Amino acid sequence: MSTTITLGPQQLGLEEPMYFRVEVDGEQVTNLDVIAGHAHRGMEHLVMKRNLYQNITLLERLCSLCSNSHPSTFCVAVEEIAGIVIPERAEYLRCIADEIKRISSHLFNCAVLGHIVGETALFRWVMELREIMQECKETIYGNRMDLAANCIGGVRYDLDAEYTDYLWQQLERMKAPLEALYQRYAEEGPLRQRTEGVGILTPEAARHYAVVGPVARASGIAGDVRRSAPYAAYDRLNLEVPLRQEGDVRARALVRLTEAQQSVGLIQQALKNLPAGPLCATRLPEIPAGEAISKSEAPRGELIYYLQTDGTEMPLRLKWRVPSYMNWEALKPMLIGGPVADIPLIVNSIDPCISCTDR
Amino acid sequence: MSDTSSHPLHLFRINAGSCNGCDVELTVTEAVERFDVATLGCHYADTPEQAQIFLITGPLTTRLRQEVLALYAAAPAPKVTVAVGACGASCGVFRDSYAVSGPLEKEITVDLNIPGCPPRPQALLDGIAAAVRLYRQRRGETLPPLASASDVAVPERLRGAPRFAAAACVGCRVCAHVCAGGAIRFDDKEEGVALTLWENSCTFCGLCAHYCPSGALTLSNDWRRTHPQSQSYQQTVHGEVPQSPCSDCDASFTAAPPELLRRALGGTAAPIEPLRQLCPDCRRRHNLTFATRGVKR
Repeated sequence: MSTTITLGPQQLGLEEPMYFRVEVDGEQVTNLDVIAGHAHRGMEHLVMKRNLYQNITLLERLCSLCSNSHPSTFCVAVEEIAGIVIPERAEYLRCIADEIKRISSHLFNCAVLGHIVGETALFRWVMELREIMQECKETIYGNRMDLAANCIGGVRYDLDAEYTDYLWQQLERMKAPLEALYQRYAEEGPLRQRTEGVGILTPEAARHYAVVGPVARASGIAGDVRRSAPYAAYDRLNLEVPLRQEGDVRARALVRLTEAQQSVGLIQQALKNLPAGPLCATRLPEIPAGEAISKSEAPRGELIYYLQTDGTEMPLRLKWRVPSYMNWEALKPMLIGGPVADIPLIVNSIDPCISCTDR
Repeated sequence: MSDTSSHPLHLFRINAGSCNGCDVELTVTEAVERFDVATLGCHYADTPEQAQIFLITGPLTTRLRQEVLALYAAAPAPKVTVAVGACGASCGVFRDSYAVSGPLEKEITVDLNIPGCPPRPQALLDGIAAAVRLYRQRRGETLPPLASASDVAVPERLRGAPRFAAAACVGCRVCAHVCAGGAIRFDDKEEGVALTLWENSCTFCGLCAHYCPSGALTLSNDWRRTHPQSQSYQQTVHGEVPQSPCSDCDASFTAAPPELLRRALGGTAAPIEPLRQLCPDCRRRHNLTFATRGVKR
């Protein structure tokens, strides 16, 4: 006999108001629906009531975990419409900001995984490690979540020799713990037992649901916007896209941990090759009528912006496709047929971003 | 800053539709040792019924309104409510949306505000410590000593309370133009133009400072901003842009501040310095006379 239950953030241990209607038969999940909209703030309406400059700050708050991806992708769309070429130094600085955010975001997700499987010490340890990046963000950008790094035409922060050296040292501090963390998530008995073979998304299902980001890469699909459609300075940075075939909770965690390690390397590459020059190409440019699509690889996967302008400073239209929108539909094949007790673990494994998706 | 003199207090977090920034930072206050709320004698509760202090994030979306109010109502009085972040105080950048029912104070009694977007963990602890004191005060209990966050150096670039140097302002209003939270207003007065910045709507993004042509608006690294909700609308930065009389016609005008001239022209040479004291009309007349010297009519 099947019954329907509603699960919310309290039951799932989520930071965000994500709700599910789950049909269960005994201890087994037979169907589920995501109940969306709780964090809906009317963003599509709000962005059209704000000018292009105000939107830089507004969009940074569309979601705080991928908060740099939003304004930077938005600025790229504006720059494309206006034909603005940003300085090379700004391209590198945009990559650095993106990668710092990626490390923090991935580590937060891995920390929560530890929390869900009841390994409180691990949870606390990963959160402590993440603090190195949080301190970097506050020291360099002035806030631990929202970097305020972007402006139309470039960036509005700089790294002098002192800050470059500081960031380099902090990244060095990350290396050994990140490697140890990877080993632990890959090999440690109880953790492996709890995550291996759980919440499987086959490559076929991954393709069918068109999942993106680490969820796709853990199911053997090698998509990464930084490689397939490079923006900022990514075409000049050496990046290997991690790929796993298992498609389970463990694979998704390991892809994220590999990416965090690679992000450390990417930032160091960018610091080494950081060209001199101006930070921003323009001050308050006129933005003509036009439309543009821009894409980036946010921590959760491909983020798409569509912007239409009419020659005024108010956008005519701004639309998104955020990565979690693609990924949370794929929870169905991951969860159906599995035990109810695995729901929190599997939901966390797609690193769902509700504030992005509900907007 | 430990408080072991009396029974521990329980905190309950409610996400009222936030961007998750404040929530992620609140997680830090239960995961990271030096920011642990346990140092304030507090613990996070699993249910609202157990809690004495409520930490509410987000602008209160219309969709979540009922649920937030129900969770809040589940706790017995007395309780202390803390609006965390700019959203809790004013809906922040999300104000004026059909989908937002905040600010919180419209629906429930808010006791304290912790400004920030999001506030750093030190600021969260500062605010929670104030909430603990308020709760104990209401119960007539012994007050814990005032908490003082660690004296570790505050990052120079930390984006904290805004500062306004009225003498450097040119009244161009670009700051108000780029402010996503609508925190800045200019008022035209006979004596000149006045700027008011409401900190409870400010996200400390610094875009105003970035675009300010003369360095009049800046962000300090002052992050201790917790205040009672009753003072929320008094948390302002205010300044009147001074006017001076034209050295020729005596009309009042706003002279270009030296910082603007330095940025725009790399400074001014002594011979043109007197031009600063002329109102736009007189300056034009002066320049025209200067330019047409020796020209036969």
